Amino acid sequence: MEYFIQLVIEGLATGSIYGALALAIVLVNRATGLINFAQGGMAVLSTFVAYALFDAGAPLALAILGAIVFAFALGAVLERVIVRPFERGDPDTAVVVTIGLFVLLGGVAAFFFGYEPRQFPSFFGLETLNIAGVFVSLRSIGTIVVLALVVVLLQVLFRGTKLGLAMRAVADNPVSASLSGLPVSWLLMIGWGLASVLGVIAGVLVAPQLFVSPGMLDFVLVYALAAAILGGLDSPQGAVIAAWFIGVIENLAGAYIDIVGNDLKIAVPFVVMIIILIVRPQGLFGRKVVVRV
Amino acid sequence: MKSLTRLTTNRWVRLAIGVAVAALLIVLPLISSKFVNYQLSLMAVFAVAILGLNIVMGYTGQVSLGQSAFLGLGAYIAAYGVTEGWPIPLIFLLCAVVPAIVGLIIALAAARLRGLALAMVTIALPIIGIPLAKRFREFTGGSQGTTVRWLSAPEWNEGFLENDQWRYYVVVIIAALMFLLARNLVRGRMGRAFRIVKENEAVAISIGISPYRYKVLAFTIASLFGGVAGFLYLGVVQYTSPETMSFHTSINMVAAMVIGGSASILGTIFAAIYFVLVPNLANEINPSLTALFSGAILLAVLFLVPGGVVSLPRRIAQVLRSLRRRGNAPARDAETPQNPSDGALAPTATGPKSTEKNRKRQGQ
Repeated sequence: MEYFIQLVIEGLATGSIYGALALAIVLVNRATGLINFAQGGMAVLSTFVAYALFDAGAPLALAILGAIVFAFALGAVLERVIVRPFERGDPDTAVVVTIGLFVLLGGVAAFFFGYEPRQFPSFFGLETLNIAGVFVSLRSIGTIVVLALVVVLLQVLFRGTKLGLAMRAVADNPVSASLSGLPVSWLLMIGWGLASVLGVIAGVLVAPQLFVSPGMLDFVLVYALAAAILGGLDSPQGAVIAAWFIGVIENLAGAYIDIVGNDLKIAVPFVVMIIILIVRPQGLFGRKVVVRV
Repeated sequence: MKSLTRLTTNRWVRLAIGVAVAALLIVLPLISSKFVNYQLSLMAVFAVAILGLNIVMGYTGQVSLGQSAFLGLGAYIAAYGVTEGWPIPLIFLLCAVVPAIVGLIIALAAARLRGLALAMVTIALPIIGIPLAKRFREFTGGSQGTTVRWLSAPEWNEGFLENDQWRYYVVVIIAALMFLLARNLVRGRMGRAFRIVKENEAVAISIGISPYRYKVLAFTIASLFGGVAGFLYLGVVQYTSPETMSFHTSINMVAAMVIGGSASILGTIFAAIYFVLVPNLANEINPSLTALFSGAILLAVLFLVPGGVVSLPRRIAQVLRSLRRRGNAPARDAETPQNPSDGALAPTATGPKSTEKNRKRQGQ
């Protein structure tokens, strides 16, 4: 039983990392209707900034803060300069643009830092707690708490502030929003900036475990995309729940189903995702899309 | 420019170009080094894989990020067949049919999904495929992969063609046949149906074309081409490992396809040349620059020549024309540029497709 609880908590922690990136994907999808593959690249580059700052002698908290500022600026600039011209066009082309960005940003990171994985310290230390026989690392708990905080903050932002209201208006109907005098261009940039910040949070949380390298988030990105799709692409809560679900189910299947084992556990969430999508094409929490002809 | 266009549409000129290209393809391996022949053969291999991708993505408009999984599957089937000593025609047949069946089963499920969910399901294929390949060690050789020796120059032709030249001819001939097949497919009834499904699914339904059926069909054909490319891959490289399936290969193929020219047969050839050549060139300059180059080139193409390299002459003519017009009558705005290539993935796409998709997006 202790082992089971341990597995679930670890699964929730990994799921939280997927969840942070999945939230970023949902945010961008709601604001601009795109699926942003570049999210992974943006997060990697920003995590490298945190690494570089820390390496240069800055305290960890300051390094992470610097990376967050960088991530925000990066997201906003990329939206304005590269993605904007493709936003209202063909969605397939827009996806290819974000794939191009994904490759490019990974390339930029590789150019400056090389492919060698680098160590990154954990914000939460390395201690393990023993709660009634269950061993959980402080890092796992910290990761889950951070994601919970992020969800609460996003809710406050979108439900409780004027900025959030304006961003929702732009997501809902950009034309009406601009007619009522909202600065749509700036709001889109802020939306991408926020999403990029979520990405770097995921990057910094996972860095102590996976090390910092240009490809570090490739798999996390794919899981996050799966979580976002499974949650319904337009539902932040759905994305987080799906991400947790993916993290937990992966861990449990790896431990308890013999033929799955540690090597095949990566496939489990995708098989589950495909089955769920066949039953519910709009995702677990998504709204059904109705097309007017 | 106009006379040039007339020239290229002339039947005899086209025939002459075709003969010249064929002659070049035949002579090239005889005068080139082993390395060059290897690279040329690889181009033919990936041309077939990208051709399949182009059918499902360029012509039918369904983003697929799983093509490398079918390439890997084909290569593994070939490797297993070779080690078991099966006859080569049987291996070829299995390499085409088994991936097609796998693709069909996946597509039956995945084509129900709207738009980008399909991209997600397909990206899962290489990710599931790699650990599966590592698991079934007795078939695949595990992480080390399988090395084979086959498709060597036959004995009757001792001292005439080297192995690399023989393999080149086999691969190029099969690739050429696949291209002929694809060309006939997309020019015929089926190709028109694909294009309508891509443009507007509602219109397709209204004229009795089932988008679901044609999406499944396109995906199945793409898987078949992927499997054949896997057969050819093993023929050229003589080795396959789980890395063949890596989803980076898929992503690079998508990038190459768009750079070459989506929904274009000729563009697919440019795409394959790009896919093999550019990483090589970038590696020679600086290995850590490869990704930077590919990303930058892809974005530059999307911005400047949205129809891909294949539409470059038309695009240049278009820009020149609008420049000239602007010079003559500065007060009048240049005529809205037309889409460089009809079926291309273009950011300025207008018409029924984009409005339909925009509406869909706003309805979310």
